[in-house]
Amino acid sequence: MSALTKTLHPDEKVKAGKLGGSMFKAGMGIAVVFMAISIVFGAMAGDNFKRFLHAYVIGWAYIFSICVGAMFLVILHHLARGRWATAVRRVAEAMTMALPMVFVAGLGFIIPILAGYTDLYYWAHPDAHNHELNHHLAHKLGWLSPALFAVRYVIYGVVLTAIARYFYKTSKQQDESGDPKLSENMRVVSGPAIIVYALVVCMAAFDILMSFAPKWYSTIYGVNFWGSACVGGFAALGLLVLGIQRSGRLVHSVTADHYHDIGKWMFAFTFFWAYTAFSQFMLQWYGNMPEETHWYKYRLFGEWQWVSIAMLVGFWAFPFVFLISRWTKRIVPALVFFSVWQLVFHWLDLYWNVMPSYDWTIVQHGEQVINAGPLMGNTAYHHVGFSPVDVTVWIALVGLLVAGIGRNLKGNLIPVKDPTLGLSLAHENL
Amino acid sequence: MAHDEHDDQSLPRPSGRGSDTPDNNEVAPLPENGALYGVIAEYDTPGELVEAARKGRDAGYTEFDCFSPFPVHGIDEAMGIKRTILPLIIFAVGFSGTLGGILLQWWTNAYDWKWNISGKPTWSIPANVPIAFETTILLSVFAAFFGMWILNKLPQVWHPYFRLERFGRVTDDAFLLGIEAKDEQFDNEKTTKLLADAGAIAVENCYLDPDPANKQMPKWIMAFIVASTAFAFIPLAIAFKARNSTSEDPHIHIFPDMDFQPKYKADTAADQFADGRANRGEISGTIARGSLNADDELYHGIARSETDAQWTQGFPRQLEINEKLVRRGQNRFNIYCSPCHGYDGRGLGAVPQRVTASGGSWLPANLVAPPDEKGVGGRPIKMPNGQLFNTISNGFSTMMGYANQITVADRWAIVLYVRALQRAYNATDKDVPPEMMRNMPAPSAPAAPAAGSGAAPAAGSAAPAPGSGSAAPASGSAPAPGSGAAPAPAAPTEPSK
Repeated sequence: MSALTKTLHPDEKVKAGKLGGSMFKAGMGIAVVFMAISIVFGAMAGDNFKRFLHAYVIGWAYIFSICVGAMFLVILHHLARGRWATAVRRVAEAMTMALPMVFVAGLGFIIPILAGYTDLYYWAHPDAHNHELNHHLAHKLGWLSPALFAVRYVIYGVVLTAIARYFYKTSKQQDESGDPKLSENMRVVSGPAIIVYALVVCMAAFDILMSFAPKWYSTIYGVNFWGSACVGGFAALGLLVLGIQRSGRLVHSVTADHYHDIGKWMFAFTFFWAYTAFSQFMLQWYGNMPEETHWYKYRLFGEWQWVSIAMLVGFWAFPFVFLISRWTKRIVPALVFFSVWQLVFHWLDLYWNVMPSYDWTIVQHGEQVINAGPLMGNTAYHHVGFSPVDVTVWIALVGLLVAGIGRNLKGNLIPVKDPTLGLSLAHENL
Repeated sequence: MAHDEHDDQSLPRPSGRGSDTPDNNEVAPLPENGALYGVIAEYDTPGELVEAARKGRDAGYTEFDCFSPFPVHGIDEAMGIKRTILPLIIFAVGFSGTLGGILLQWWTNAYDWKWNISGKPTWSIPANVPIAFETTILLSVFAAFFGMWILNKLPQVWHPYFRLERFGRVTDDAFLLGIEAKDEQFDNEKTTKLLADAGAIAVENCYLDPDPANKQMPKWIMAFIVASTAFAFIPLAIAFKARNSTSEDPHIHIFPDMDFQPKYKADTAADQFADGRANRGEISGTIARGSLNADDELYHGIARSETDAQWTQGFPRQLEINEKLVRRGQNRFNIYCSPCHGYDGRGLGAVPQRVTASGGSWLPANLVAPPDEKGVGGRPIKMPNGQLFNTISNGFSTMMGYANQITVADRWAIVLYVRALQRAYNATDKDVPPEMMRNMPAPSAPAAPAAGSGAAPAAGSAAPAPGSGSAAPASGSAPAPGSGAAPAPAAPTEPSK
């Protein structure tokens, strides 16, 4: 008989067992140790934790984006009546279920802002209200006010957590009952859910990342962030599934064809990221309006120039030419290499988006940067440079993400009674 | 010779030699079938087809193929055929599309015909990316589509298997496996048994047509290909001829009813009117809506009395002269006038700056400079309001008229704003309100206004600050030795009357 559908291998270990618990402990250990180191670094810097909090927001956006990327697979799988991903969907669901913990971690920068900390976002600083300096910021300050910002943050957290919980809980419920009606329900919910998801992700990107440069304009920014997030999400999903297989679980269920498809998504979003990033750049380059081009000017010249080139080559060109091949996606060491590679560059993408705004001279000058003469020789701009706290905070928050995912890896690691599981287990790429 | 009843049907028979007469027994009939071409087996499901293909491969057959209505997962591996090289072809062709797209843009815009677009470099990679992206996609798709055809030996308009009725169902619901007789392993009985044992629901032999004429592509198809290829060259030939010859014939009109419409265009001849003109002019005694403009002062800036007509010195009575109108004038001035005359009216706008930067020399009128001691220059200051209005409306020298872009009221607002600019540029201490004046250091006795007098202090260069009141005290409080007896410069002309 044909290989169109299969049943679970009788020897398959589908229970998470102690795996989730040990992930939680290891992740928490890393998070605590590295956060302690980071706080020491942050205090030693003597800059009122400004650098620390910038790095914290980057690290937070990183773990948030990975959950968001996994959530895209979960929703789309239902929306498109997906087949292939059923075998790895539970792992993706567990990743999205780390979101409540991620949003709690985000309070690490929300609470200081609410408490009157002014050194993180320029719009929260009294200078922003100086009409002489910032008259064209005035109309944005209603939206970018600490209280409203915090309210939106809570809304984003509640909405995304609700979506994650719905799909996770319903899928778990189906593990018990095997009721095919539940698949139908999830399909109905997935339509509205993906619209809400898209809006929330875009708005979160505008608020939390783009508002570091409050004088800048870009409407595609949220989409670009989402593209980058999905690269990270699928890279992390591939690595996580591989790790689970290394622990002796799901060894028969997840095959090279599933990795192939995860790799395809990673490849597709690698290009999608480049496409939107270039769209954003090219329109502003062509339009040549100072209120837009200043953002690029201080990234394409001076100390950020090489980071920008590294982004172009490292996050797009190099992975693109290799991931386009079928074999890179099917041979596990190659896929692991590029997953890790893209996860690092995804972080660099967020870093490149946020950290140049660490220098407020640039943020404040906005479009005047264009008229400020050759940037490289201009002493008005500080040296942002690199700080070890940038990396230690990132590692701490990744540890937290691992812990958050581990906490939800319990019970079945595969939706054992999903009606499409048989098709997914027999999945083959042409 | 095996005979399958299916073979009787829908077979193209050799023309003129077939059984088109009922008494075909009298003519020696041709054998129904020629040499054995191969064996074909039908399977019930794609899964069985995959298994049969695997058995065929394991038995050492190489000259065989599977036929199904849709792509079957795993069939490539089961048949033991190596992976297609199509992706490599697509990559190579697609990449040449990238290079070709960039080369095209370099050739057209940076080499053959340099063209400045938005002040960008004639060859700039960011602008080339979208085109290069599109050419990459286009050529990749072509390579994928036509490469697939070529690698699959398509289009195949004739094949021995087409003689089997069963084969016609392969685009519908049949899953077939055919092994050709030319295979080294082929043995009719053994091969048939192998396929039947693999679960076939039917196995049948396929014979070549006995008529050699039917072993090749039908002549009409060949004729069609040759003819359509020849036709494809006709437009090219016409274009080539048109480029290399001259002709006095009129254009070919493909849509004559669009090219020759039953209507007249402006300023053309029309025989049916007495004056022979298509333009009918205005009917005497009438005037078009919105074209009356009878108020000479408002619409033309002319103050007319019974005996005389002069440029008006004031503003039309319809306008309320207040700060709001000045602001409106500023807004319009900054949009329409500042590109040449500059925001301050000195004639140093972006356009003359650019002319200067590119090596040219052109300056628009300085709207605010006063006349010198001999009364030379300062035309815009000396102009009556009505003449300024007329200049904005109808232009002057190289300046085009702006009547079509700016409404009447806005043109008067600009006149008002130009007066304000002139007043500000030529301001004296008297223009500063006394209560504000008290807060300033005492000015030197001859408060040096920023007139271009040769003996004026060095501060009075060609670019005085608009608020010259603050510059003057500074030079007065620290008088340079020897400049104490600066001659009083000419009093500034009263800018506004």
